[in-house]
Amino acid sequence: MEEKNKAIGKGVSRIEGILKITGKATYATDYPAKNMAYAVLFKSTIASGTITSLDTSAAEKSQGVLAVITHKNAPKLNLKGGLRGGALLQSPEILFHGQHIGIVVAQSFEQATHAAHLIHVEYQKKEGKTDFDKLLPNAEMPKGKELADLVRGDAKAAFENAAVRVEEIYETPIEHHHPMEPHSTVAVWEGEQLTLYNGSQIINGAQTAAASTLNLKPEQVRIISPFIGGGFGSKGGQWANLVLTAVAAKMVNRPVKLALTRQQMFNSVGLRQRNHQKISLGASKDGILQSLSHQTTSHTAVDSEYLEPCGDCSKIMYEVPNSLISYRVVPMNVILPTYTRGPGKSTGSFALESAMDELAYKLNIDPIELRLKNEPKKDPSNGKPWSSRKVVECLKEGAKAFGWDKRKAEPGTNKIGDDLVGYGVACGTYPARQRDSSAVIKLTKKGNNVNATVEIAASDLGTGTNTILAQTAADGLGLAMENITVKLGDSNLPPAAGSVGSVGAASFANAVNDACTKITDELLAKSGKQFFVRPTAKDLMISENVSAFETRADAKAPTQADQYSAHSFNANFAEVRVNALTGMVKVTRFLAVTGAGRILNPKTARSQIIGGNIWGIGMALSEESIIDPRWGNFATRSFADYHVPTNFDIGKLDAMFINEEDKIPNKMGVKGIGEVGIVGVAAAVANAVFNATGKRIRHLPITPDKLL
Amino acid sequence: MRPFKYTNTNSSSDAINLLIKNPNASYLAGGTNLIDLMKEDVEKPNELIDLTRLALTKIALLPTGQNGISIGALGKNTEAANHPMIREQYPLLSKAILAGASAQIRNMATNGGNLLQRTRCSYFYDTAMPCNKRNPGSGCAAKDGFNRMHAIFGWSEECVAVYPSDMAVALSALDANIKVIQPDGKFRSISIHDFHRLPEQQPELDNTLKRGELISSIELPKNDFANHSAYIKVRDRNSYAFALVSVAAGVVLNGNRIVSAHIAMGGVAHKPWRARKAEALLKGKMATVANFELAAQAEMEQAKPLAQNKFKVAMGKNTIVSALSMATKGT
Ligand SMILES: Cc1cc2nc3c(=O)[nH]c(=O)nc-3n(C[C@H](O)[C@H](O)[C@H](O)COP(=O)(O)OP(=O)(O)OC[C@H]3O[C@@H](n4cnc5c(N)ncnc54)[C@H](O)[C@@H]3O)c2cc1C
Repeated sequence: MEEKNKAIGKGVSRIEGILKITGKATYATDYPAKNMAYAVLFKSTIASGTITSLDTSAAEKSQGVLAVITHKNAPKLNLKGGLRGGALLQSPEILFHGQHIGIVVAQSFEQATHAAHLIHVEYQKKEGKTDFDKLLPNAEMPKGKELADLVRGDAKAAFENAAVRVEEIYETPIEHHHPMEPHSTVAVWEGEQLTLYNGSQIINGAQTAAASTLNLKPEQVRIISPFIGGGFGSKGGQWANLVLTAVAAKMVNRPVKLALTRQQMFNSVGLRQRNHQKISLGASKDGILQSLSHQTTSHTAVDSEYLEPCGDCSKIMYEVPNSLISYRVVPMNVILPTYTRGPGKSTGSFALESAMDELAYKLNIDPIELRLKNEPKKDPSNGKPWSSRKVVECLKEGAKAFGWDKRKAEPGTNKIGDDLVGYGVACGTYPARQRDSSAVIKLTKKGNNVNATVEIAASDLGTGTNTILAQTAADGLGLAMENITVKLGDSNLPPAAGSVGSVGAASFANAVNDACTKITDELLAKSGKQFFVRPTAKDLMISENVSAFETRADAKAPTQADQYSAHSFNANFAEVRVNALTGMVKVTRFLAVTGAGRILNPKTARSQIIGGNIWGIGMALSEESIIDPRWGNFATRSFADYHVPTNFDIGKLDAMFINEEDKIPNKMGVKGIGEVGIVGVAAAVANAVFNATGKRIRHLPITPDKLL
Repeated sequence: MRPFKYTNTNSSSDAINLLIKNPNASYLAGGTNLIDLMKEDVEKPNELIDLTRLALTKIALLPTGQNGISIGALGKNTEAANHPMIREQYPLLSKAILAGASAQIRNMATNGGNLLQRTRCSYFYDTAMPCNKRNPGSGCAAKDGFNRMHAIFGWSEECVAVYPSDMAVALSALDANIKVIQPDGKFRSISIHDFHRLPEQQPELDNTLKRGELISSIELPKNDFANHSAYIKVRDRNSYAFALVSVAAGVVLNGNRIVSAHIAMGGVAHKPWRARKAEALLKGKMATVANFELAAQAEMEQAKPLAQNKFKVAMGKNTIVSALSMATKGT
């Protein structure tokens, strides 16, 4: 992958790494503002009903308090402005437990927090829709067109006629994103101009949503977000806290800072919904799939719809003549679900890839063999050719590297002391797309020293966007990385796609690369000369003695891209140890092998993949948010109850990339790795647990009680 | 957090007097539990009396004649776990402390504060919910709610919470005594078994300390099972999680015959649960897995699980067996 004298393909450390570890990177709340006031949100303690009385008098009199804002005195906002999850203080109606019902603004954070405790609220309660299990039988057709039933052949008949069948229900619980940096905003007004310092995965999206909700023009709102302490989808769409900070700042006529508490993160910024997935697989005796149905039931908010596309992997993973993908949904008095790492694919692959493992066991075929037998030549959902697909290579090379041959096919037969050892495999996929993005390159020359600034309203979630853009520009301009400055995370910069859905690297790097090509072309044209070997922009700046030059490129996906089916693919291998007496599980080894096109930076790419793996291990073993249906509140409400993996839960992690050159989805051949890293992980772990113990756990997370 | 006054002193009698003077004052040690509860508006003291300057941090041998050691109440959990005397003579305590919380929290947490940490029942923490422990008379939300983590022994209709300390489970198996300074300046010694209480009709009372009493030290009597002890904690992840079930076991052996077994359980009751029935059955028996299973079975038969924690019965049994096997294998 690594080429001589090229920055792309080198395992370069993140260029902002030193800033981060020395605490100098400025996250949203790190922006100082003169005369800052502090806002604290307070929330409903019922799931459904109406506020009948709201007594804020004690809070208003409390020391340091500048304002208490509720539906009674909040300015009118545009509810259709593009923010997610409502809770904009526009009416006394309560739609979910923990809905924001007011903000206290005070001279200090402590004063605001204290005053919030002094508010007295009375409600008229309605019976809330809070019990998913009870509501499940009444699930409805979703409204979204992309969620209509997808039918190929006759899945039901083919299933019934199949020689070998698996039909099971797989459940995944509500999960929360919980980035280390809770959602926070600093709002500063200067006249009618508003600046919002706010971690945003989609800079321009945050700008337009905030402007539209506040009834402003987009030019009046500036989003600044150079660093984000993780988002995982929860900072993709923006939530009420963004504009409520602006509302508070306007009302007290001072800059205002608002940061959610960890507890508030459970019901303020979306969640991954609970998914009830039924998989039906029918196959011939020699393991050729005849039928695949993937029927998902989930919940959404009572006033708005979001569903994870759990059937996406099932659409494309295997050759199968008869297939049904369907969605049903239950509206609930629970905050709106939203995109969460590997949306639909991580949860959907748990169901599909567990079922494939069950089928392999029934057929007495190695699970890798079963997958190889059903490898599709083209995309079975639409007949399009693959731009590239390296599932076979991922499986074969992974098996070799992992020592798959040491796996004992019969569960429960590999024992070391009190520990049962098991191996599991599962595949995953995620679409590769390039989205419209623009970039400006500014070149300057002093003596023979050429420097470049790259400007793009991209965002860096901490994944390495800054770094890969510097690498791309370095190669595109003929400069060293030290001579490149990357400016991103500011809506005043040229508009760009978001860091969401694994589109970031492809969209941003192609925009920067196009800008580099364009600026070189323009410098060539300006020189009026013919060159034997195409010079670099740096060479031209020097040879033509140009002191400053800039250009902008507006990049789009290649026009032929949509004639192909373009996706990243992976194979995941897990080794687990399960204590036979206590049921505690440890993933001792994990290997992800990924075919994701060109890897711009193997170091940051590896971090992305193993980060996704750790998320997947958490999903498999420990992460779960529990609603108490009597009140609709979360009974799990802090990091003491919501168990993300700790260092001790994670064994040896390895990431391998398959060499893949694929210029179809975009010129740079970048497919994206942020999402695919989690896809297939939970199934690999669950399959390993089955191999270790003979217990098939179809209801995540696999906590010790389920293995006794 | 509500406004509060902060006072510190290096005299224990001053601390006690300050506390007695103000019915809404609380002692503050490492603050890792109390401050969290104040942020959640569960505890609402209007004055904190900081104890961390008191000279009650030493780990030392008890005076001759009273074989054993004394651990200062204001010493840090980390120090206690790593002290050579404790590692050699009471490795069970060291293991139990290290199975709790995280390194950062153990660096702040004191031994006395650890004893007095409050339940982790999520309804206790959520002021929007009924909870007899936090708000007597308001009801118990856990009894028919999310009670997977809750008690299987000794609960009452009023409260099904469990006491979360790992350290105290080992202290129970070690028959520790808690030494406290009374408001009149005199010392009193409370057996660990009488220190924490079952909820009964007064779940708001976690223990038998009286208002103003200040824990000065924890005393451990000498024992003969240092090399035959084990602490096993079963939890939802491998570190930094409270116990589903934990077992501290120490076994005095004569050859392969059990002279006496000392077994305490965590995560199952409102106090460390001493498995007296299992202990009685093991006395004089051979140290075999079959005997461990019989004893564990007998102990767990007394359990009354709730709707969501039936698994704790089997888990408790297995964990007792596992801890006894490990303990009798020796180190
Ligand atoms: C995220 C998290 C995870 C944790 N996990 C675990 C775990 O797995 N296992 C475990 O056992 N513990 C765990 N803990 C709890 C931790 O052990 C306790 O918070 C700690 O031991 C309390 O000690 P402290 O000194 O900080 O007490 P403080 O919070 O200062 O005080 C606690 C109480 O004790 C009183 N007090 C303190 N000292 C005295 C004294 N000398 N005399 C009289 N009263 C006194 C205070 O007034 C207060 O009411 C965890 C804590 C956190 C925050």
